[in-house]
Amino acid sequence: MNAARPQPARTDTAPGDVGIEIRDVSHQYGGRGGQGGVTALDHITLHIRANEFHALLGPSGCGKSTLLYLIGGFVPVQSGVIETRRGVVTGPSPDRGIVFQNFALFPWKTVLQNVLYGLEKLGLPKKDREDRARHFIDLVHLSGFENAYPSQLSGGMQQRAAIARTLAVDPEILLMDEPFGALDAQTRRVMQEELRAIFERTRKTVVFVTHDVQEAVFLADRISIMSARPGRIQHILDVDMDRSRGDEITKRPEFVDLGEHIWGLVRDQAIAATRGAH
Amino acid sequence: MTRPASPAFTPARARGRAAPGPQAPSMLGAVWRRLTSDTVIQLAVIAVLLIAWETVTRLGLVHPFLLPRLSAVLERIYNNALNGKVFMDLGLTLYRAAAGFFIGVAVAIPLGVMMARNAGVRWFFDPLVSIGFPMPKISFLPIFILWFGIFDTSKIVMIAFSCFFPVVSATYAGTLGVDKWVIWSARSFGARESQVLREVVLPMALPQILTGIQIAVPVGLITTVVTEMLMGGPGIGGSMMAAGRFADSVGVFAGIVEIAVLGAIVVKGVERMRAYLLRWHAEARH
Ligand SMILES: Nc1ncnc2c1ncn2[C@@H]1O[C@H](COP(=O)(O)OP(=O)(O)OP(=O)(O)O)[C@@H](O)[C@H]1O
Ligand SMILES: [Mg+2]
Repeated sequence: MNAARPQPARTDTAPGDVGIEIRDVSHQYGGRGGQGGVTALDHITLHIRANEFHALLGPSGCGKSTLLYLIGGFVPVQSGVIETRRGVVTGPSPDRGIVFQNFALFPWKTVLQNVLYGLEKLGLPKKDREDRARHFIDLVHLSGFENAYPSQLSGGMQQRAAIARTLAVDPEILLMDEPFGALDAQTRRVMQEELRAIFERTRKTVVFVTHDVQEAVFLADRISIMSARPGRIQHILDVDMDRSRGDEITKRPEFVDLGEHIWGLVRDQAIAATRGAH
Repeated sequence: MTRPASPAFTPARARGRAAPGPQAPSMLGAVWRRLTSDTVIQLAVIAVLLIAWETVTRLGLVHPFLLPRLSAVLERIYNNALNGKVFMDLGLTLYRAAAGFFIGVAVAIPLGVMMARNAGVRWFFDPLVSIGFPMPKISFLPIFILWFGIFDTSKIVMIAFSCFFPVVSATYAGTLGVDKWVIWSARSFGARESQVLREVVLPMALPQILTGIQIAVPVGLITTVVTEMLMGGPGIGGSMMAAGRFADSVGVFAGIVEIAVLGAIVVKGVERMRAYLLRWHAEARH
């Protein structure tokens, strides 16, 4: 994998402990001068370690997408600081890839052209681009649909195309906003295994937003649980699971227990969220 | 780059799509569908109207000066085709319409995009466009004649001016409607601002821009003929006015038929272009 890495080799010699450092970040939508807006994030401080798979769990509307937009550099940080090993985040960059909740494919491009777009921007030679794009289309099981337009695909297929497009440019940091939300149970499981395998091979720093407790426990090294809006980090849990063992991880008692425990924590927040909505 | 051991998995849907089962339709069904296809029906409607025109005039129900026979009109067009007048008139009209249209669109699209993306540009031009769009553009003709003279320049400026408004407002609305995530996607791959505009914003706004263009095309043709009628000289509008002045009603109707055919061909052509450019769009498949 590293041999095919399209970006220049990492030259920084930082110890690489901090992947993404989020310090005291708050975010408001609308309103002026701090008045009358919606507070989406309330003093978030979170250290995401380099090369860890970090899952973000929280009720709907708690600001998970907003936090990813801030890390991605799409929305300016209003207060606080977000820093990666490449420095303070001030805007988007190809070393922070994102899979949006609503896919955001380019509708006038075919699946292949969508995946090629990022590779063209990286300046890869034409032959390599094609090979690489086809490899990742194959990886998300979309072979045969290279020339389909997004409007000809199901929601789940569009989601997989968007995943291929982002994985193809091999970003150092991978931000994923419920990337498997539109998939059926089987495809979802296959994609989860595929993603974890990619992660084991490439050791990116992954921030993975999900509603699904099982998914978080299955994929992540650490899990942050956010409170109902305004979003705060409520709990951070380690998932200490020996993944090298070949058995079905989801059937182990420690997996089930951890899931139960997290579900309890999330449930409280979800109830608070529905109360807040009325 | 080897793939990890994972269950071999080909989505059932993929296989289903890859091999669509073509069903042989019955001959009769195919013929019927052909007979009732949209184009055939549209042509049939026009044919019925033309036959009615010829019948009514042959039966002497209307005075031939008020409504000459279709056959007489077609004969005139045929003769004008033989001596080249039709091509001269149509060619000139088409040239003026095209020149004005392209100038108008070339100004309107960048301006519409800039209005949507830049507050300063928006503040300055939004009121101008709002005032100008509903105004009868032809009322500016005397000013254009004053500024640009009595020849082609003022005609073309007039046409460009009237094509400009539908396209600028459609482009503005279309650009405003481009959702932020698609733009962010491009930026996350390292697209610069100018690339985002060209590679993302324009294609995303294209359906609406084309809608504006589809309005501008007939508006441009109408403006061309009206301008020619008001200013005279060669071109279909001028020829029709000349024929009218000599009480040559066959000549006037010949002009009407010529501009009708030209307009229909151009409008159909633009429709085809839209279908081709938007083949990725859900609207292309029902
Ligand atoms: N553009 C916006 N303008 C105003 N308010 C917004 C905007 N985007 C989000 N919000 C508000 O900010 C809060 C957080 O939104 P966000 O999309 O980050 O939530 P989320 O955790 O991703 O939710 P979900 O799980 O449903 O995707 C919500 O309450 C929402 O109403
Ligand atoms: Mg969200």
